[in-house]
Amino acid sequence: MATLHLLSHSPFADGRLNSCLRLLGAADGLLLCGDAVYALQPGTTQLQILEQLPASIALYVLEEDLQARALPVPARVQAVDYPAFVELCGRYAKVNSWL
Amino acid sequence: MAKSLLIVSRQAPWAGPAAREALDIALAGGAFDLPIGLLFLDDGVFQLVAGQQPQRIEQKDLGANLQALPLFGIESLYAARHSLAERGLTEEALSLPVQVLDDTGLAALLDQYDQVITL
Amino acid sequence: MSMLSLGERQIPLDKDGYLVDRNDWSPEVAEALAAQEGLTLTPEHWEILGLLRDFYAEFQLSPATRPLIRYAAQKLGPEKGNSLHLNALFKGTPAKLAAKLAGLPKPTNCL
Repeated sequence: MATLHLLSHSPFADGRLNSCLRLLGAADGLLLCGDAVYALQPGTTQLQILEQLPASIALYVLEEDLQARALPVPARVQAVDYPAFVELCGRYAKVNSWL
Repeated sequence: MAKSLLIVSRQAPWAGPAAREALDIALAGGAFDLPIGLLFLDDGVFQLVAGQQPQRIEQKDLGANLQALPLFGIESLYAARHSLAERGLTEEALSLPVQVLDDTGLAALLDQYDQVITL
Repeated sequence: MSMLSLGERQIPLDKDGYLVDRNDWSPEVAEALAAQEGLTLTPEHWEILGLLRDFYAEFQLSPATRPLIRYAAQKLGPEKGNSLHLNALFKGTPAKLAAKLAGLPKPTNCL
């Protein structure tokens, strides 16, 4: 029963990303939105860690939050708009929102 | 068959309403005999420290409330090993019997429940 | 807010009839509250009220029905710790009514 994890806090100010990575299952997905997209900042440990995740773990980012912060889409990550975000939530058995 | 719910409680006891809210969800679910699991993660493990004196900061006794979980039928209690270790806590010092899980165990636990909510 | 009259005393109750201040509770108050509910307290009622007050002292909350039954079964045995016995004593809503008579807050997890 794969889980889609939603993160919205900056990984530089908060431990949610680290904790999420620890309990990420092999078939889980991770969607970054809000300030969590700062995890994709080039040249950071955070991005490096995400890029090294097993290919079975899907990585998504909410495109508008990324663009608003002038960040590029890394090759490892798939940018999605809101309709695709909603569609993704339905595709996983459950959604875990890291409030 | 009722859907099972894993509640992930990851805030310190007096950091705000999150710890209380996680417990309230657990107790409400337990009162209706729903299959509930409760995982203490990150600062959430501080909720399990014995001997806290919340009345000194005019807070309700969350620790006493937690002791009622088994009576509410909630016996699936877990704590993350890394969260305890990072905070210098040992299993013996905790106020409730919990199952301590390493990272692999955490991923498997999440997988096992129908729904998950993190507070 | 309403008042419970007990001799000279006026004791404030909330909109559901629970004591506003738990310190106002005494056995006489329990009897007056019970009378309002059309109940006369017997030793069997008192046993459960005492049990509830123990529960509150230990866990700092009022139990919903299931945990109350489990706790009663643990402390008093299965003849007392079952829904039949508790429902018969407290008009079918033991968690709510017994908490009220014991001077405790309304159970929060009890719909």
